[in-house]
Amino acid sequence: MPPVLEADGLAVSLRAGRRRFDVLRDISFSLAAGEVLGLVGESGAGKSMLGRVVAGNLPEGFAVSAGTLRFDGQDLARLGAAARRALLGDRIAFIPQEPLTALNPLRTVAQHFAEHLARLGVPKQEREARMLAALADMRLPDPREIARRYPFQLSGGQCQRVLIALAFVSNPALVVADEPTTALDVSTQARIVELIRGMQATHRTALLFITHDLRLAGHVCDRIMVLHAGDAVEHGPAAAVLGAPRHPYARSLRAALPPLDGPRLRLAALPDQMPGIGAFGSLPGCRFAPRCPVRDPACAAAPPALAEVAPRHFVRAAGACLAGPDVAAGCAPLADPPPAAGAPLLSLRGLAKTYPGRRPLFGAPTPGVAAVLPLDLDLHPGEFVGVVGESGSGKSTLARLVMGLETPSAGRILLDGRDVTGDLRARLGTAQMVFQDPQSALNPRRSVLSLVTQALESPLFRGAAPDRAARARELLRETGLPEEVLTRYPPQLSGGQKQRVNIARALCVTPRLLVADEIVSGLDVSVQAQILNLLLDLRARSGIALLFISHDLAVVRTLCDRVLVMHRGAVVEQGATAEVFGAPRHPYTRALLAAVPPEDAARAWPPPAA
Amino acid sequence: MSALRRCLRSPRVVAGALLVLAVALAAVLAPWIAPHDPQEQDLLNTLLPPAWAAGGEAAYPLGTDQLGRCILSRLLFGARIALYVAVLAATGAMLLGTTLALLAGTLGGRTDMLVCRAIDVWMAFPPVILALILLVGLGAGVHKVILAIIVVDWTRFCRIIRSEVLVVVRRDYVPAARLLGFGRMRVLWREVLPAVLPLVITVMALEMGIAVVVEAIMSFVGLSVEPDVPAWGVMIADARQSMFLMPWGVVFPVLGIFVAVLGFNLLGDGLRRALDNRLVLSREVVRAPGA
Repeated sequence: MPPVLEADGLAVSLRAGRRRFDVLRDISFSLAAGEVLGLVGESGAGKSMLGRVVAGNLPEGFAVSAGTLRFDGQDLARLGAAARRALLGDRIAFIPQEPLTALNPLRTVAQHFAEHLARLGVPKQEREARMLAALADMRLPDPREIARRYPFQLSGGQCQRVLIALAFVSNPALVVADEPTTALDVSTQARIVELIRGMQATHRTALLFITHDLRLAGHVCDRIMVLHAGDAVEHGPAAAVLGAPRHPYARSLRAALPPLDGPRLRLAALPDQMPGIGAFGSLPGCRFAPRCPVRDPACAAAPPALAEVAPRHFVRAAGACLAGPDVAAGCAPLADPPPAAGAPLLSLRGLAKTYPGRRPLFGAPTPGVAAVLPLDLDLHPGEFVGVVGESGSGKSTLARLVMGLETPSAGRILLDGRDVTGDLRARLGTAQMVFQDPQSALNPRRSVLSLVTQALESPLFRGAAPDRAARARELLRETGLPEEVLTRYPPQLSGGQKQRVNIARALCVTPRLLVADEIVSGLDVSVQAQILNLLLDLRARSGIALLFISHDLAVVRTLCDRVLVMHRGAVVEQGATAEVFGAPRHPYTRALLAAVPPEDAARAWPPPAA
Repeated sequence: MSALRRCLRSPRVVAGALLVLAVALAAVLAPWIAPHDPQEQDLLNTLLPPAWAAGGEAAYPLGTDQLGRCILSRLLFGARIALYVAVLAATGAMLLGTTLALLAGTLGGRTDMLVCRAIDVWMAFPPVILALILLVGLGAGVHKVILAIIVVDWTRFCRIIRSEVLVVVRRDYVPAARLLGFGRMRVLWREVLPAVLPLVITVMALEMGIAVVVEAIMSFVGLSVEPDVPAWGVMIADARQSMFLMPWGVVFPVLGIFVAVLGFNLLGDGLRRALDNRLVLSREVVRAPGA
């Protein structure tokens, strides 16, 4: 059977003046009908570029510079605009990353379908039936009602179902799904993935599945291509690539994933992060070489050839890389922390937050929203406590309540035995917060020096350290940043460096408790592993305690001794991490755990819907 | 790249700044470079065309008006009034509007509601009528015109800056600063104000252009400067009667207004593009978008 999509030596380059940077190099694959190919990589790996080549939607300055990408015999890289338009939306369909922004808010779901079906040439009288059938395939409860709604009246998961229905309604030969579940909660992700796979299997569609999540790809795809800085470093059967990756980068990516079962390990973290486009010019050979634990001088000079290590399993590596010591060898098991003793550092007693309803001048008043239902918590010095839950569970509100950024509607907050409920400043010497998004949490107009020691400007901490620059250097050392970033500004830093600066700023006043709200959720797995290790090192050095808010169960399991599971503002389960994850009692916890793709590619996932 | 270098690379900013600089030099140096006293009447040489036209005199490079006053000299001195009003009125409107915007945006709640409703009510009045009513109440005079522009146009600053403040205070570095022990005013001054400053500068440049036009209108209808002070609006008003006989009397002050307003608008638009972080970042290509 001829392949539906076939890439042969495809390269995409950015031209900047007279220089040329290859953002994709020598990509070859073939995708047959009914097959799923996963493109996996960290941000900047070039995985979305391929989807953009298919759509003819490369950013300005980028162009296909070599090779072909054939769809059904036609080269998509050199297709005219009219011929491409005839294919897109009909024989080739897309499922986007951000479901909430991919639908036009001025049109109802039915209008989206009507427009699309009209373009496909479906007669007017058949359109409604086709739409209702497509929506029913998505297991949406009431297709007629959904069709009447506007996108903003739907949840993210519902929007994504509508988009999947739209993508498959033309019975396309190829579907490109670019991170289709990244913006969704884990339990929604499982359902969406199940739908996409189901549709793809029944229609025998070829599916190009782009994701940063190696585990998810391992379960969704038949074959996986791992991309690093524009190179396909490994390409083979999904189970083999997830289960026993061969390329050093794929191996370290796998080792950087926090495990959901087995012993808790310190994660194997690669140094630095993937080189950006600007660095490509100085990396003629293997672009992974600078970070590679088993690098070979030969790799840095010219990219190694693609070697077939098993039937249809290709690795772009020299023999030395394949045989070298494993990066995961350095992962020490994490010691169980000593049982909490003595007085708690932080105590929450009946802490609750209800947002009052609005009483507008005109119209009916709206009822209040209970964001956090009364909860109790004791956190001891040196203890890492995780709070997990999906969006809207109240976990971020809890962090803001603890720090005094929100006023509780009931309950007390005791820090070191002192009641600090109504007093923001009283807690600042003891507790500090690290915000989620360093992009937003670091003032772009301040240098790193001024950011990390910003606290010393405030009347509360003035004089705490006489020499600002010396304190800043100390903080950089503590957070593993090189000294030369001192004079830089946030826009000049990488994502991981920014998050370290963000942490360093909170550490400036030597707090005994850190409150961290989703601080690794925006980071790539290799950088995430670095930050998690940094937090563990901080505890080993200074016995700091941590209240860690996250939606990622695997991360919480690796980092935290104790965990609270929140659902709609209530703590539904809490206890030692090993117990909660090993033998969950509450059905919600069980559902959350089941929704995470397991590491073992042989285990069936997603689980059947409850 | 520093903000200053970005500004200097922008053709709009450079062109706008050069035009504004030219008007400013004319205004500052008027007593030295003007060939005549702007009020000096030469009744023997009334309604002279510019020097290069037929019948022009070299002593009056741009000709004379119906009282034989040197148009070039009046134009140069008129620039003083125009810039005086532009700078003072725009600064005043900026201070009033930005202060209210910062308070409304950061304090929120009742303060925000009050400021917003005040803007709504204010903007419901037609601005020219509002200015006229004010001037009739206060009496004519150049300082009254400045006051009228401030009182009318603070809403322009307030609305635009407030929405930017709302964006900035939702960035996490604002609560982060609070958690380092800074008071609200300090956070406002050190974290929020620098972030909205580019926008303030931009709106201010645009407002100066508006103020030049408003001043010209007010002096045209005789509500601004004393009749014996040369201002562009007064020149247009004076030249109106002889417009068909000698159009130059109208053309030159209109050109003066045109150059000043164009300069301020180019400067404002260029600064907006050069200082806006979002636009700047999207143009720095080397970080691959969506890669």
